Amino acid sequence: MKKSLCRILTLTKRNILEIIRDPLSLIFTLALPLVMEILFYFIFHNLTEQFEMKYLAPGIVVFSQAFLTLFTGMLISLDRNTSFLTRLYVSKTKSYEFIFGYALSVLPITIAQSILFFLVGGIFDLSIFSPSLIFAILLSVVTSSFFIGMGILFGSLCNEKSIGGISSIVIVGQSVLSGMWFPLEGLNEGMITFMKILPFKNATTIIQNMVLGINNSFNDFILPLLIVLAYTVVAFIVAITVFKYKMKEK
Amino acid sequence: MKAIRINNLRKEYKDVVAVNDLSLNIEEGEIFSLLGVNGAGKTTTIKMLSGLTKATSGDAYIYDHSINNDIEKVKELIDISMQETAIARKLTVEENIEFYAKLSEQTKEEIEETKKYIYDSFKLDKVRNKIASKLSGGWQRKVSIALALVTKPKILFLDEPTLGLDVIARRELWHTIKELKQKMTIILTTHYMEEAEALSDRIGIMKDGKLLFVGTKDELFSKTKKSNIEDSFIEIVAGGDLNEKIIM
Repeated sequence: MKKSLCRILTLTKRNILEIIRDPLSLIFTLALPLVMEILFYFIFHNLTEQFEMKYLAPGIVVFSQAFLTLFTGMLISLDRNTSFLTRLYVSKTKSYEFIFGYALSVLPITIAQSILFFLVGGIFDLSIFSPSLIFAILLSVVTSSFFIGMGILFGSLCNEKSIGGISSIVIVGQSVLSGMWFPLEGLNEGMITFMKILPFKNATTIIQNMVLGINNSFNDFILPLLIVLAYTVVAFIVAITVFKYKMKEK
Repeated sequence: MKAIRINNLRKEYKDVVAVNDLSLNIEEGEIFSLLGVNGAGKTTTIKMLSGLTKATSGDAYIYDHSINNDIEKVKELIDISMQETAIARKLTVEENIEFYAKLSEQTKEEIEETKKYIYDSFKLDKVRNKIASKLSGGWQRKVSIALALVTKPKILFLDEPTLGLDVIARRELWHTIKELKQKMTIILTTHYMEEAEALSDRIGIMKDGKLLFVGTKDELFSKTKKSNIEDSFIEIVAGGDLNEKIIM
């Protein structure tokens, strides 16, 4: 157990270094969403409630997590295609240790994203700084786990050329189907139901409602949380299965 | 002492027989070269011996540990350097060594010893703080092979170790591999005949998954009546009635 934990931490440290030494990953996961947060707030916050900071900042937190799919996937697909992973398969490292190593390495970025976007949001709207904010930051780890699981899955399936295209499905999904950029009024009932079935809107709803202090309603908080958890569990089960299969295939 | 015993090892992919009932013994401390054209089964053989792929039938023993039943023990005794460069791209050379050493459960003192051993063996001292992806192709290859020694294996598999290297880098690597011979058994696959000639104690020639020849250079020359490995190789793989025979 201790040896396994040591291997996981060794893999995690290596993955963190690989990610933070890639300027592109920092631009897409931190800089770009930050610019969007500030820009959209200034342009639209007087026009619609949607862009008030108490809604926008949580939305940006989850939106920025969608890029974690891309960077987790990119890391794994590059490791696979450069034989780096094949070499490690000869070691005693188990498939679940690889998965934990990849997943844990992205969590510090998730927490950095949440703190940064809430901090900046709080500068414009002090009401964000409430005791619930701590729980919102902790919950963002849950929502990011879905995106990380998808990244591990895509990284196990795709090469580094196709990973960008495949991951953009999740990024576009989070943009369009989360309901954070446009009001849902006017959309037909079928479309709204579709959005409520998928994890994107639910992930955004959880964080937004936690910031707003709505955390004891079944429909507005517990159900979305259960849906996101279900997607996360499925994403990880499929990712681990595919990763193990690819490991054997080698 | 036999480092590797291979008994009727076979690998099938759907309707293709990649390795066809291979039997072979390799002595401890030997440098053994597996030669063959593309698709001969060299890499598949190495993958089976290192536990990267399962054999369809047959077995092999690494110091008496079965690759089918005792692969965890086998993994403690071997390491591999693949055809492609396998390094952590954004880590420095030193961080790469530390990474592999920690994964193989070495203590801090052992890691320091390992670093010194690797720097001395491969003369990597001057690039120790360089990010791996910023090194030239030759250096990356050298680092990639050096990393296979971090675990201090008793058997080292080198799959096309000098593929894509210029002639100077190749000669330097040959020198390093020869020096390693004192410390471990080395099994290498290569397309370069002169590499096999310069490094090997014995040579195995494969074609279509079958082992057509095993022996020393002199035995090869004597059998084929040729005076260099390339001509002998062509004679065995492409020519005459030697085809499909196993010459022991």
